Amino acid sequence: MSFMDFTDLRYEKRTLGGKILPVVVCPRFNPRSQPMRVFDAVKGLLQGMRLTLGYLLSPSKIVTQQYPENRATLKFPERYRAILKFKYDENGLHKCTGCKNCEVACPNASIKVITRDSVITEDHELDRYIWRLDSCMFCNACVQACPFDAIEMGHAFENAVYDRRLLIYGLNPIAGPAASALENEEDPEVRRRMSDPRTILGGPIPLNGAGLPNLKPVAAAPFVDPLPIAVTDPLPPEDGEGEEVS
Amino acid sequence: MTVTIRTLNELLQPSHLPAHPLATQEYFVNMGPQHPISHGSLRLVLRLDGETVKEVIPVPGFVHRGVEKMCESLTPRQIVPYTDRLDYLSAFMNNWAITRVVETAAGIESNERIETIRTLMSELQRIQSHALWWGVTGMDLGAFTAFLYGFREREVISEIFEETVGARLTMNYIQPGGVMYDIHPNFVKRVKDVMAYMKPIIDEYDTLLSGNVILQERCRNIGILSPEKAIALGCTGPVLRASGVPYDLRKMENYGVYNKVDFNVVVGAVGDCWDRYYVRMQEMRESIRIVEQLIDSIPEGPTMTLRYNLPIEMPEGTYYSQVETARGVFGAFLVAEGKSEKPYPLHFRSPNYNNLWSVTALAPGWRVADIIAILSSLDLVIPDIDR
Ligand code: SF4
Ligand code: SF4
Repeated sequence: MSFMDFTDLRYEKRTLGGKILPVVVCPRFNPRSQPMRVFDAVKGLLQGMRLTLGYLLSPSKIVTQQYPENRATLKFPERYRAILKFKYDENGLHKCTGCKNCEVACPNASIKVITRDSVITEDHELDRYIWRLDSCMFCNACVQACPFDAIEMGHAFENAVYDRRLLIYGLNPIAGPAASALENEEDPEVRRRMSDPRTILGGPIPLNGAGLPNLKPVAAAPFVDPLPIAVTDPLPPEDGEGEEVS
Repeated sequence: MTVTIRTLNELLQPSHLPAHPLATQEYFVNMGPQHPISHGSLRLVLRLDGETVKEVIPVPGFVHRGVEKMCESLTPRQIVPYTDRLDYLSAFMNNWAITRVVETAAGIESNERIETIRTLMSELQRIQSHALWWGVTGMDLGAFTAFLYGFREREVISEIFEETVGARLTMNYIQPGGVMYDIHPNFVKRVKDVMAYMKPIIDEYDTLLSGNVILQERCRNIGILSPEKAIALGCTGPVLRASGVPYDLRKMENYGVYNKVDFNVVVGAVGDCWDRYYVRMQEMRESIRIVEQLIDSIPEGPTMTLRYNLPIEMPEGTYYSQVETARGVFGAFLVAEGKSEKPYPLHFRSPNYNNLWSVTALAPGWRVADIIAILSSLDLVIPDIDR
């Protein structure tokens, strides 16, 4: 048996706390006499060297990813959790009813759902959906809590900005009822008046980025959401309703 | 038994001047809080006599976030993601600990499928954690190549997690009532591939590092922890097992589906750094065995038995549950008031905290360079110590 024999494991049974446990004892080789030890030492070093040399000579085994050069081909598993975003139906309408389940479920208050009463129907509906990327920990609790399947975790992960105020997003491009409620309304003109446009960085939360001088919301780049077809030509906001507070 | 409590200030008083004219004076050296070996912010004050360590005074607390206090205002489901951030290399097991205590308290039944998935994930993460530890140990002891190899295997397993869980580090996967998602359709195939890939890789690790004379010389018979001392200090996990105590919660408590699988408890013979090193190497092989036994027979069933938005009712009482993480026993102690979902209080028993203090028993008498080997063999994760 040579000095370094890693298969020299001892299998035995030991009792602990009234249980008989199968146990394997780690190898423990006793160093050999001096000249042999030198031989063993050199052999151990050379074995390791040969292994690394093997990898050097076969580059196909190297697994390094060339990020960011490979950005175009980066693939994410569909469950990958990064930025939070709204789900839209085929008309580009969101499904959020403003029930605030996600806000309650969030462990660190990263979500603030502001609701309003509809101008037309006086129903409870979504005004702003504010999500703080800076405090979100991507735990998925909000997505799990949503009973209407209105939000999901998207894959955009390059979210670095120069000002942390730009990390507070309004997720909904339109304020108004969920798609399910909007479908009940026949008159297209009324439908249009039921929804107001919202911007990604506008909103009443302090620290929100829209009011900053000389700041263009470039950080919003990952949020290229489909523009809602229902409000392609938004009406000016009604008095007091949906006003841009910046 | 008497306990002497000394403040850090008292400990750091200059030592007496020895009477002998040739004797050297003892001095203090700060190791950390920013030190490559501490793998985080851990301050160790060394009292040295020349190169020889007289005393090690660990000063934890740099990453203290008050997680336990925060948990008092959170519901059980909200606590789970916070446990990811304790020992982040054992996130699944930490999730499982809090899940177990909540499930015990609320009397939530789990099923075979859920338990099998939980066990599989935990074992995969144990392999991942040990592979990373192996790489980091190599780097601590001067073998930078090992670091890259360790990360390579970690990545392979991370990709499995990414596919099923959606995260690589902070999982929040094992939740009261089940698991977050069912396993991905590719999961079984991928795990089989990775296990087939991992088996020769661990032998490769042995070739690259275990047989290396430098590692051998720096680990063998260095920092011997006797079984009595290890038990007295509350060490668990590979640190305790390396001292020859076959204490493994997976055998002792039979949680998950560990009673269905055949595996050995890995113990060391002496309790030195080498034993702590090789216990983890062998544990990876045992974990691969566990995964291989389970992966073909994941039973059918639902993966979540609770509606998400319903509160979890916990009757008044005190509850404790523990699991074996990659570093030892992680326990969660919960007091439920019965009035609300929120615990009051919640305490985590983290393995790294107790394992850290073993350095006070291990280090005296050894040289500064040996501290590196000793600390490395303890495999500390600092956020778990500080919580
Ligand atoms: S992922 Fe978690 S932390 Fe982030 S917004 Fe959702 S619930 Fe809050
Ligand atoms: S996202 Fe879902 S849970 Fe949150 S307010 Fe909208 S509908 Fe409710």
